[in-house]
Amino acid sequence: MDARTRFDASAELQELVNLSAGWLDRRIFWEEWIYQLELERLFARSWLFVAHESQVPQVGDFVTTYMGQDNVIVARHTDGAVRVFTNSCTHRGNRICFADRGNARQFVCNYHGWAFGTDGNLNGMHEEDHYDGWIDKSGWGLQNARVEIYKGLVFACFDDDVPGLEEFLGDYRWYLDILLDQTDTGTEFIGGTVKNMFDANWKFGAENFTGDSLHASWTHDSGGRAMSFGRPVPEFMPVDPQSFHANANGHGWEGGLDGIGTLGLVGQANPEAMRYYETKRDEMAKRLGDLRARKIWGSVISASVFPNFSYLPGIGTMRVWLPKGPRRFELRAWTVVNKDMPDSVKDTVRDACMQTFSPSGVMEMDDGENWENATRSNEGVVTRRQKLHYGLRVGTSTRDDPELPGNISKPMYSDINQLAFYERWLDYLTADSWEEIPRQR
Amino acid sequence: MAHAQASNESVTDINAMQRWFEVNQLYTHEAQMLDEENYDGWFELLTDDLHYWMPTGETVFRKDEVPDDPRNMNYYNETLPTLQMRASRLGTGTAWSENPRTRYRHLITNVAVESADQPLEFNARSNFIVYRNRLEREEAWLVGRREDRLRRVDGRLKIARRKIMLDQNSLLSKNLNVYL
Repeated sequence: MDARTRFDASAELQELVNLSAGWLDRRIFWEEWIYQLELERLFARSWLFVAHESQVPQVGDFVTTYMGQDNVIVARHTDGAVRVFTNSCTHRGNRICFADRGNARQFVCNYHGWAFGTDGNLNGMHEEDHYDGWIDKSGWGLQNARVEIYKGLVFACFDDDVPGLEEFLGDYRWYLDILLDQTDTGTEFIGGTVKNMFDANWKFGAENFTGDSLHASWTHDSGGRAMSFGRPVPEFMPVDPQSFHANANGHGWEGGLDGIGTLGLVGQANPEAMRYYETKRDEMAKRLGDLRARKIWGSVISASVFPNFSYLPGIGTMRVWLPKGPRRFELRAWTVVNKDMPDSVKDTVRDACMQTFSPSGVMEMDDGENWENATRSNEGVVTRRQKLHYGLRVGTSTRDDPELPGNISKPMYSDINQLAFYERWLDYLTADSWEEIPRQR
Repeated sequence: MAHAQASNESVTDINAMQRWFEVNQLYTHEAQMLDEENYDGWFELLTDDLHYWMPTGETVFRKDEVPDDPRNMNYYNETLPTLQMRASRLGTGTAWSENPRTRYRHLITNVAVESADQPLEFNARSNFIVYRNRLEREEAWLVGRREDRLRRVDGRLKIARRKIMLDQNSLLSKNLNVYL
């Protein structure tokens, strides 16, 4: 922590984020001591997305991922529950599972053959007789995280004092449901994971998805034109005065109410996809009401669950920004679809998602260039001294919208959600204990 | 001895030599088109019913290995029209991450050609090293192999199917705006 005391760090952090004036200090994207605080105070005590249930359908199925920089195994235990535990042997610390996914009865360390169950318990070891009287195996299992599932999404948390997932999501569940609760059968991930590395600070990905409507029609102009296949370019981001930023507890959602912008893009390659969506609207409306089913769903929307789990409803990308230091992160991305979609519609969504928001996607390939250079510029000490403007429509959000839960600001072209993200970020980084963190934002 | 005999046969098989030479010429020409961002020239080398596929990588224990499946996530799962759509991005003038231009170099090696079940088609395998260099000091190395189905169309050899397998799990760069 660079010899700073905890008190000094909190005081200094308060000066790096000015929520009322709307500016940020660039050091939050660059400095190692701030990054270490993020790992300790944010990632080690926040709920974090770790997997979709459909990735581990059978007993013994597992995937590995990261919570902060802690590698974890997400496994379906013999009791049917999903367990999440650290991937490091309690004997000498070696990694015990080297696969991205698979099926296992137990995880056996390569070094001395210590074997751990799909619940993280230490089951035994090679030549166990030597240990008679020298170990209480029940005290040497892997560290289990708390696990809660919200409509197929598996979240985990390493802090025992943090309130449960429902309170963590709070009002934001109303928005998540637009994607997760369209049908009786729910959602699933397409198989496989797209993973790639960025030399950039992880927060640039998260803040972009939580609220950055304005970059879309500029950064992604070439992608928007390409996706129109030579036809006249549609209004990529409708300038709808009713479009909005919504945030709750640092989670963000921004988009319009036109109901068609994204579905038109995804469905243009396959009439069956458009038919599916139109047929589903009635079922959705019964579950979610007309506003969510007919006006919000299908619009151009971008969204992010604090701190690092982002998604684009309709496009179907769901992704985590996994930090690897202040200047590097790994993006892991999937495509989410409704289980009841015909195969050809799943194929269409998968391909449209890949062609737009993946490393080869005509939209996403311009994002990385921005985030890497927005990070790297800060190597200059003089450059780093200059604040960054986050003041668009600052102070305009209210909590009293008659229809939309959470903090709302209209239209969607603003820094409101980004500031809400950094407010929540500051809550975690400056608090010594969970009691100091406001339960609701 | 059987092995030596087979080698001798292939060395003296003029038809096989000619075929190998022709495939190498195709790949050399294709590499030049891609290095120079001459995508219209590249499309001339692809058949109308092209399937251009690049699955994502993963690391699994040997017992959990499964064949690649285009119904899983992919980097590319393209037809000729969708490749043309992708390339059209470059002509818009607003493809920011391609201005200034990226330096590309495609090195294609270890070419092996075999007959296919169709009289006018061959199967060809090749390895690639693709180097990308950008701005002041950005570098990306892409190493892997390709499995192609080639077809003779109006006397000219074209690529009808390509599967690209990159020797990386997590793609070690911020994007993949290059064709392999």
